[in-house]
Amino acid sequence: MNANNVFRPAIDWQSRAVMGRHLRVHLRNWQTAAVPPICEPLIMLLAFGVGLGGQVGTLLWRGETIAYLAYLAPGILAYTAFMTSFFQSLYSAFMRMHYQKSWEGQLTTQVRLEHVVWGEVLWSATLATAYAVIVCGVLAGFDLWGPLDLHWTWVPLIVPLTFVAAMAFSAVGLFFTAIIPTLDHMGLPFFLVILPIGFASSTYFPLPDVPWLHAVVQVNPLHHLAEGLRRLLLEGTPTWHLAAVPALSAVMLLLLMPLDLRLLRKRVFGDA
Amino acid sequence: MSVPSPHSAPLSPAAPLLEVSGLVKHLGGKRVVDGVDFSCRAGEVLGLLGPNGAGKTTSLRMCYGFLRPDAGSVRIAGHDLVTAGDAARRALGVCTQDDSCDSDFTVRGNLEQTARYYRPKLADVHARIDELLTQFGLDDYANHKPETLSGGYKRRLMIARAVVHRPQVVFLDEPTTGLDPQARMGVWELVARLRREGMAVVLTTHYMDEAERLSDRLILLQAGKVRATGTTQELLGNVVGEHVVMLPTASPGAAQVEAWLRGRRLCPSTVLADWHFALDAPGLAAFVAAFPELRYEVRPPTLDDLFLTLAKEDRP
Repeated sequence: MNANNVFRPAIDWQSRAVMGRHLRVHLRNWQTAAVPPICEPLIMLLAFGVGLGGQVGTLLWRGETIAYLAYLAPGILAYTAFMTSFFQSLYSAFMRMHYQKSWEGQLTTQVRLEHVVWGEVLWSATLATAYAVIVCGVLAGFDLWGPLDLHWTWVPLIVPLTFVAAMAFSAVGLFFTAIIPTLDHMGLPFFLVILPIGFASSTYFPLPDVPWLHAVVQVNPLHHLAEGLRRLLLEGTPTWHLAAVPALSAVMLLLLMPLDLRLLRKRVFGDA
Repeated sequence: MSVPSPHSAPLSPAAPLLEVSGLVKHLGGKRVVDGVDFSCRAGEVLGLLGPNGAGKTTSLRMCYGFLRPDAGSVRIAGHDLVTAGDAARRALGVCTQDDSCDSDFTVRGNLEQTARYYRPKLADVHARIDELLTQFGLDDYANHKPETLSGGYKRRLMIARAVVHRPQVVFLDEPTTGLDPQARMGVWELVARLRREGMAVVLTTHYMDEAERLSDRLILLQAGKVRATGTTQELLGNVVGEHVVMLPTASPGAAQVEAWLRGRRLCPSTVLADWHFALDAPGLAAFVAAFPELRYEVRPPTLDDLFLTLAKEDRP
């Protein structure tokens, strides 16, 4: 499988057609689909930011004392992109592949497996980005209300950054989609891989002062996304973390997409 | 309709729409398809037959691009499936064994969504969908979800979906498996309609009567190879024989018959309490002469006999 066969389909019309199918289904249920991205950050900000933050008060970040709610807000933004893309590419893609057989229906047309897989990646990234934008709206509400004081100058950067990072996260999700035997095993990647990565990434709390952990998170795009967005929203400063997000995401896509396609080909067609 | 490609030669009207040559496929270290060749012309129904494990589904899956052949080629309407994949796929339609209707869409939505997976786009997509809903008897269910349909109507939707883009070659993989007799006949009428519309139809089935009624020509696969090809009668004559004798195993002269058959290197198939064995015309004359007092039936061979013969050949 050469690079042209793996990456070229990402820009083919078939991948967009697959993404369009998911978008169409999602928009038809927009009333219910809009509830999680609005309610989840709202609940998290109120429960953790206002509730727990009231107990914690402040914490030390880059040598400065800031309110826990202010620390949490950009973390929720990054975590939303991360979880949304994982959930779509793991649970939803598995359902479409294994139970709904919608992949099989697509594969009987001009759509090839590469397009189905890239369509899933593009859709996961699109939804994650859309949810991140909605979370921005919730944060803007908190800003207007008063508990948050955020810088909005660079906020359009959030769209391409979350999109690229979400593509990489969904490549990880599709890896598990390819290898988990049944729906009953879905909890394993969530609890053994996704949640640990999600929490050890400066999203909900600063990393403890453990040298090896600080070294490990340097290759985690979620850590850079959370830290980059935090500097962007709290200080109004773009930093190298923002450059690390697309760089690490590109490396992850380069490594994982050929593997995902090979494993999914074996899974879907029984052909290596 | 088709996209010009250096790998696509213009087809003469008489040329086959499907050309399969030298297909080879290994799965799990086993050579499951071993040099299969066949072709199908416009307005022809080609039946692909063979016992389980003969390589039918694997061959078919290579023909519509689910599996990549280790060797050989598939040309759809003049387009090579590997080197001109988009054009080849635009010209083929597939109805798989499994129900793969999209449960997120209605019957009409399934057809609309499937049409979106083709380029060049259908110019008259809504008119085409209305036409298919009427032709396939799905009008009353257009706004229903596929899971509310009966098995027969689900299968109609699957076939309608396979032809929404007006393909030239259609693959139907066991289209009537699990359907009741009335639904099966409904599907048979649809297959006849596709043939009348000039499509080349390739079909696999386990129902012998279905293969016999629907197919203009049959390809018999055995152990991954083409064992025989031709019309039903040609296939039966070549592989089974001209006449089949049915004799109760408890007949008074059974032991002598067994010895007589052994002398001719024939081994009868046992079906319930009867022996079935095929004989050519001189053989039947010799049998009649050898056992003038015996009571038995003689009938023409059927595709069931063909499968029994193949099963015997496959036995180690």
